[in-house]
Parts: sequence; C-alpha cells; structure tokens
Amino acid sequence: MSTENKIGIFLCECGGKISNRISLPKVSELLIFEPWAHLGIYPYPCLSPGLEAIKAKVQAKGINRVLIGGCSGRVMKKKFTQALASVGIEKHQVEIINLKDHVAAVHEATPQELARKAAALIAGGMASLTLLEPYEPVSLTFEGPVLVLGGGVSGFVAAQQLARKGMESVLFAKAQTAERVLDELHWTFPGCRIFCEDMAEILREVFTSPLVRVMPDHPLEYIIGGVGDYRVGLKQPDGSVAEVAGAAIIVALDREFGPGNIDYIGGGERVCDLLDLEERLGQGDQADFKPGKMVFWVNSPQHGKEAQELAAMAAWRDSQVLAREHPQVKPMVLYPANITLPLTGADLVEARAHGIGLMSYAPEVHPVVQSGYVSFVSPTDNLEHEVEWDTLVVPGAPGEPAAKAQELLRWLPIYSENGGRLQKSHIKFYPDQVPDESLFFTGSAGGVCDLNEVLQQGKKAARGVLNLREKALQGRLVSPVVVHVDKDLCEGCGLCTEICPCGGIEHVKPGSGPVPRETDNHLCSGGGTCAATCPHEAIKVVNNTAQQLEARVKAILARMQPNEILGFVCGWGGLASAEQAAVKGLTYPSGINLVPVNCLGSLDPSILSMAFLNGVKGIMLAGCTPKHSCHYHYGVDHCWYRVNAMKKLLSLAGLERRRMSIGYVEVNEPESFVRMVESHMDAMEKLPPLPGDDKTKAKLWAIHATMHRPRVRWVLGTSLRRPAEKEFPGSQFNAVDADETMLDVLKEEFTISRIFKALRDQPLNPPDLARAMDEPVKNITPILTDMAKEGRIITKGWEKGYPIYAMGKA
Amino acid sequence: MITFTINGKEVQGQDGWTILEVARWNGIEIPTLCHHGALEPYGACRLCVVEVNDGRRSRVVISCMYPIRAGIQVQTESPRVANVRRWIVQLLLDESPESPKIQELAKTFGVTPSRFKKAGVDFACHLCGLCVRACQEVVGVQVLTFGNRGLRKEITSPFNAASKECLGCGTCTYICPTGAMDQVFQRVKGLEGESHEH
Repeated sequence: MSTENKIGIFLCECGGKISNRISLPKVSELLIFEPWAHLGIYPYPCLSPGLEAIKAKVQAKGINRVLIGGCSGRVMKKKFTQALASVGIEKHQVEIINLKDHVAAVHEATPQELARKAAALIAGGMASLTLLEPYEPVSLTFEGPVLVLGGGVSGFVAAQQLARKGMESVLFAKAQTAERVLDELHWTFPGCRIFCEDMAEILREVFTSPLVRVMPDHPLEYIIGGVGDYRVGLKQPDGSVAEVAGAAIIVALDREFGPGNIDYIGGGERVCDLLDLEERLGQGDQADFKPGKMVFWVNSPQHGKEAQELAAMAAWRDSQVLAREHPQVKPMVLYPANITLPLTGADLVEARAHGIGLMSYAPEVHPVVQSGYVSFVSPTDNLEHEVEWDTLVVPGAPGEPAAKAQELLRWLPIYSENGGRLQKSHIKFYPDQVPDESLFFTGSAGGVCDLNEVLQQGKKAARGVLNLREKALQGRLVSPVVVHVDKDLCEGCGLCTEICPCGGIEHVKPGSGPVPRETDNHLCSGGGTCAATCPHEAIKVVNNTAQQLEARVKAILARMQPNEILGFVCGWGGLASAEQAAVKGLTYPSGINLVPVNCLGSLDPSILSMAFLNGVKGIMLAGCTPKHSCHYHYGVDHCWYRVNAMKKLLSLAGLERRRMSIGYVEVNEPESFVRMVESHMDAMEKLPPLPGDDKTKAKLWAIHATMHRPRVRWVLGTSLRRPAEKEFPGSQFNAVDADETMLDVLKEEFTISRIFKALRDQPLNPPDLARAMDEPVKNITPILTDMAKEGRIITKGWEKGYPIYAMGKA
Repeated sequence: MITFTINGKEVQGQDGWTILEVARWNGIEIPTLCHHGALEPYGACRLCVVEVNDGRRSRVVISCMYPIRAGIQVQTESPRVANVRRWIVQLLLDESPESPKIQELAKTFGVTPSRFKKAGVDFACHLCGLCVRACQEVVGVQVLTFGNRGLRKEITSPFNAASKECLGCGTCTYICPTGAMDQVFQRVKGLEGESHEH
C-alpha cells in the first residue's frame, strides 16, 4: 500500500432507501473540498455491477483507500473486501460508513439536513483512512517439541498422537510410570476402570516412545514467549530454574474427584464413597467384598446435572466390574429421574444377565436413608418404595481442578468461571479474525466429563498442533500484526499484561525488571483495552489507532452543529442495537453522531477530553452490559473509570458532569438504545453549549493534558468498575476512600496541567498565577514548590520576594 | 459485454451477472425478500420473478439467480409476472400473517388473507433463510440452521440446544426482515425466559 493518500468514496443509493432520505448530491457538494481521488453515487455498489464499477475506478485512479457510504459494515465488509482483494485492496483499506442505519432510516429530518450529518460521518471516515500505515505480517517458525503441561490424562493421548506423526513432545507429569498413572486414574475419573486396559496401551506407547520425554512436574516458575517459541521455567528441587523450550503448549488439566460427604449418613463401614470403593476394586481382594446388596445412590444435585450423570455412569461401570469380578455382590444403581443414563441395548442386556439393578427416583423428593433400607419415590407411580442395602455407595463430588491449575492460570489466558470450571479466554472473535487456534486446553477441568471425552480432547489438541506444524512447513504460519508495542516508549510496567484478557501480551520472567513487552498476535484479539490504558501510550492497535480515532472525531466535530453530541458505540452491544433500531423502524433525534469503536475499553481517555476541547456539547457511550456480556471481559468496566474521571475533571473545571454519560445495551435491544439516546439528548438540550471563553478553553486544555499524564493513565488503567468489591488496596478502606484517592490524584494532576498552560503563555509569580487560574494561592504553592524541586519548571528570577516560574527543564 | 433488454430498455452486463443485478443497477426495482447484497443468491422466496423471452419462448424465472444472456427480452411487470407474484404473496401472507414485511407486500399487491390456513402457531418468520446464510457466509460460524421439514420447518440451532458457537454478534437479528429473529436469538443464546431488565 502506497502511503500517498488516494481515497475513493462510493455512495450507495440502496434503491432509494438511502437516496430518498439523504440528498446524496448535497453530500458530494459538502465534501467537495475534502482530499478525495474519486467520489461517485452508485445505485447498488454491493451487487456485481457495482463491485465491477468500484474495481474499475480503483484501477483507473490508483485508489488505495476505499470508503463506502452504504449500510452496515458488520454485514457488508466481507463482501467488499473479498471483491476488492483482486485489485490489491486489503481489509483495513476498506471503510464502511453506515449511512442507512445511522442516518437515513432513523431520523426524521429533511434530506438536506441529513446530507450534512452524512458528510460529517464520511469526513470522519476519511480522516481515519488517511492515517493508515502499511504493514507486513510476520512469518513464524514452528520447531521444537510440544510442551504438555498440567499432568492431565489427555496429555498422554496428545503425546501419543504427536509421536505417531513424528513430533516431539515434553510431558510434565506427577506420575512417572504407567502404573502410577493407572493407580491414580480414579482420583480424576472414577468409574473408568473398565478402560484401564486401553489406557495402559496408550501409556506404554508414550513411556517407551523416543519422541516423548516425560519430566517430573516441578513447580512452574514462568511461561514466556509465544507461538513457535515458548519457554517454560521449572523450579528444580535444588532451587535452580531449568528452562524448557517448545513450539506449542497443550494444557491438560483434570478436575479431581473429592470424596463425597457421607458423615451425615453414618453407618460405619457399611457406607462408603466411590473413591473408597475404587481403591478396593483396584486391589482386587475378594475378602473386601462381602456378599450382599450394594446400592449406588447418586445424589448431590448441587453439583449439577452433568456431575450427576457422570456419577451415575461411574456407578454403572463399577457395577459392571463388580458383577464380573465379585459375583457375590449384587449391585444396584439408584439415580435421579431427571438425568438420562446413556446406556445402549447391549448394556441393558448385560445388566439383566448380571442382575444389576437400575432404578430411578423422583428428584423432587429427597430419598431417606434408613439402616439397611433407602426409601425413595418412584417417578412411575408416585409411591414411596424401599430398596434394601448391605453396602451403600455415595459418589464423590467433582472437586477443584488439580493444584497445578493455579500455577498455570497465572501465565496463560485460562480463566476460572463460576463453579470452578476453567475456560480459555471467552473472547469470541469472528472466525476470520483468528489466525489459528494456538493454545490448547483439554481435560475435565474445563467441564465435567468422562475419560472417553477427555481422550478425544487430547487427540483434538494434537491434531491442532499438527495443523500448525503443517502450516509452518508450508510457510503459511503467519502472525498478523494486530498490536504493536513501541519499545522506546514502553517502560515495562506490565499493566497491559495484567489487563490483557486474551494472553496476547507477553509475560516476562519474574525479577527481570522493567523490560519492554512484546505481543503474541496469534492470541491477540485486538480488543485494544491495553492500548487505551497504557500509561505511556506505547501500545497501538495497528490501523485502528487512537490517532485515527482522534482524527475521525475531530473531523466529525468540525462539521457538527453546536447543539449536537457525539455517541461512541461499542462494536457489539452498542453498534448492533443502534443498527437494529433502523431495521425496526425506530427513530431518534439526528443530533447524535455515532462513532463505532471495537470495544469501549479501546476508547482512549484522551479522546473524550479531546472532544470536549474541540467544543462538543455532550458525549454518550453505549456498550455491552458489564461483566456478563462484554466481549473483552472487562473492557466496558475499564471504560467506566475513564468516563468517571472525565466527569470528575469536568466538575473540577466547573462544568456539568452530566455532559458525559454511559449506558449498557445488548445486541437485540434497539428500544433501550433509543431510550438512552433520547434521554441523553433531552438532558443536553437543557444545557447551554460549552462556554467558548478563554478561561474555559484553558481548563479544557488542562483536562486534555491531564488525560495524557502517565500517572492519571496508570490510575485509570488499574481501576476497574467493581461495584461489589469488598476489599480495597493499600490505605483505602472502602469505596468512598478509593474514590477520594482518585479524585485527589486527578485534582493534583489537573492543577499541574493548568499551571503548565498558564506558564506556557508567560512566566508568572505565584499570586499572578493564582489570579490567572482563579484559584487561591495556597492551593497551588505546594504544587509549584514540588514542580520546581523536581525540575519540571524553572525559576526565572525573583520579584517582590516571589519567585517567577517559567516553562523549561532545569 | 452482453446486451439485452429489460422492459424494452437496452441494458448491458458482464458474463455471470444476474438479471436482478443488472435491473437494479439500471434503476429498475424488482421486489425481493430473501435477497441480500452481502449474501449469495438463494432463490427461496420466488418474489423476484420476471418473464424472460429468449426469442423462442417466454418463461417466468427468478431474476436473482438467472444469468443474463445476449438478446433476451426481460419483462419485470408483465401481467403474467404480476399474477405469479400475487400468488406468491398470497401464500406468504397465509403462512406468516404476522410479518410486517409481508403485510406491506400484501398491501402493495392488493392481496388479502385467503381460505388457506396454516396449521400451528402464527409466527412472523417466513423462512427466507437470511439469518442462516448470514451466520454462515458473513460471520463464518454455523449457529443457525433449518430444523424439521415441510410445514414444521423452522429456524433453530443444531439439536435445538443453546449454542456455544454463537458469538452474540447480532448479525441475524439485523438481517432478519420480520423481527422474528429476536425470539429465536434468545433461544439460541439459551436466554429464553430470562429477564432482560438490568
């Protein structure tokens, strides 16, 4: 892509849906002085004739940035990108401004007025396109073993599959022999004894394979690097750290099965849990099993249906083993009727042959344990029945993920969901945004399941790794450049690593000090929360930078009426519901100019302050509902603090806090979106435009400067909307304290910014400075003294016993 | 360049273009329901029918999929076309009397509900398949699918289960011409019955 700007603007009539509501000739007229290479109006640019026409123009005029004024970019972008690829236009070079849903369909104003709004949005898009930078994707190598961490059973299968395809792997496991693995199997997969022979086969292959190195599972010190080049540090018993390098990581973590709570049942030796039984089965001692009736009672509804199903399956399989090996025992499974036993016809035949009883009970009525009997209500006749037992077995409950998990979670983008279930980052991308899956997480810690399922997961992970290798061999393993860290600006504070939800920003070894971070763009989601929080503004989302957004907002602001406002909508909840408002035929006032961003978390705080500095009357933000639906985990919660800081600064400057507001909508709630817009517009109508006098301007300048200050950005970056928080860091004891601490920081930095602004015009002594700033002298003298001491301002001379301060470095 | 006529007007196009595309490019509107610029043509609703005379005989074809050929004469508003369209709208109206889009079409074509009655519940969805195709072609996942057959055909997720694949991007609700997707969306996300007040 040439850096010379050649923007082609293609306006869509959409069969009258746009052209009847917006006067497109007027739009072209309003854009006449903008620097475009081509501007045309087309009936349907998205259909074949339209696409051909665009391609012809691109080639004839050497256009390298395409702007389409049409309908939703979420839906249409792919079509244009695919069609224009043949003339060398890439995805980021196509910008779609949604004239239909943001302007034409939702406002009642005249076509001439709407043309002005359309022109403003297009001018914004042009400003953003102008700042595009060419970039080259990075080709990755993929050599070395696969590191299988976590010690789960699925890891063995993965290693086996990899070895069969000639790929090396290093397996870290607690159990160093096949026998140990089998002995401990029932701790994670009770009831899977019948698979032991198959499992033994796999393990034998793994332990004898020259391509698999089984290493002891020493405590993890660090995991650094990225796809193709991971390095794992393990703390050795002698205290040293050994590093193992590998191309990919498979995390195999299983959930341990805890013993069931059977104390409340009592019954001494006659009552046991599944794990006890499994131990005894493992030893295979006939004397351990007295003849009589053994009832497996599947209870523990609190662990969910899946756990019950698993327990019932385990009970069924153990019954099979008992029936074969210990025929003196008559097993029976009593399971709740709300679960289904996935048994085949052959299983049922076997059950009959061995006399294994299968009985369901109505889960609404809790069975009662008596000495020698359990009474339960049968779902078929609603009568209470009794079943006799000599041994009662209560299944254990799925417990916590293996202890290894805590070490791994620190370093990998795996999160603990409610219920202790571990999950890979729940960020959902559009599939074409993801290069390849590059982190593999398997095992029952991700969800209650049986051994079979887990082995399949292991195989799948191995296939994924082999795909990566295949791609690398063909030279197609390419990492897109999504996020770039400027090494000169990065001070290595690590804030980005802490807040990154996708594991895209590299960890560094503990104790290696402030080293610049690098990004693993294979994992990066491009959410941009990191870029917007970086205290030193060292991170940029390539071709979706804060500078581009700033340029866009500025261009829109330049064309806005004084009573209009800006609306930032996130690419998921906000944008989708805004567009759906148009589909549903809803209307709202045309005074709001929508600027879509990927996630509100990617909205740099300085954009908000810049908009006010450029005279916007009010700003509304619409994002997804915090926590449960933000696609980038906590993006919207981070943004909340920026809005909050902006409100505080506005009130420090004597302006109304309500000029800023943030709201939350889901993708299919257009009515809520319209209500939000109307309410904010109403509030704004009652307010005067921003005062344009020099004093207010100076304050707004200072607010903008404050938003660029590393200390403020650090405080904003570490803050997260946590209304339910009970514990606060450091000396802050409660929510009010924490808020006041933040207010103090903002106040101080705001004053510093104002001092800079005043001193920029002319050197001043403290009383004159106080007069210029409209502040009591006592408020600014301590700050001035500090600033002079730190050398941020200089003392130029003395006058009437006062120092005269000026800008400059000491 | 292929030259032919639409409603007597001489138009041109390239190999592979469809009648609908060329007509729209030349400002001749043909009503459609299941056609969308972002998606491949599908030919489900048959509303875009036109009459094509290739010199030997005259046929009614769907314009969204019919590739243009030199010398054909296309009529978009002939009595024969109007008759076919009216019947299509009639059947659509009887199938989805609740759909605002269909009601609008019925008004345009002067169609009123007839003696045909659809069994089961009235639901605004008229199975144009835009959501299913958008999910697959635009978003790139396959969360939505057609379930059942014949009269009981419906839009659903595979196995009628709450989907883990769904991104929650809302493309389906955006592209749905009737608003019926709202309900299906809730079901697919596994949110049906849940309160949406925050």
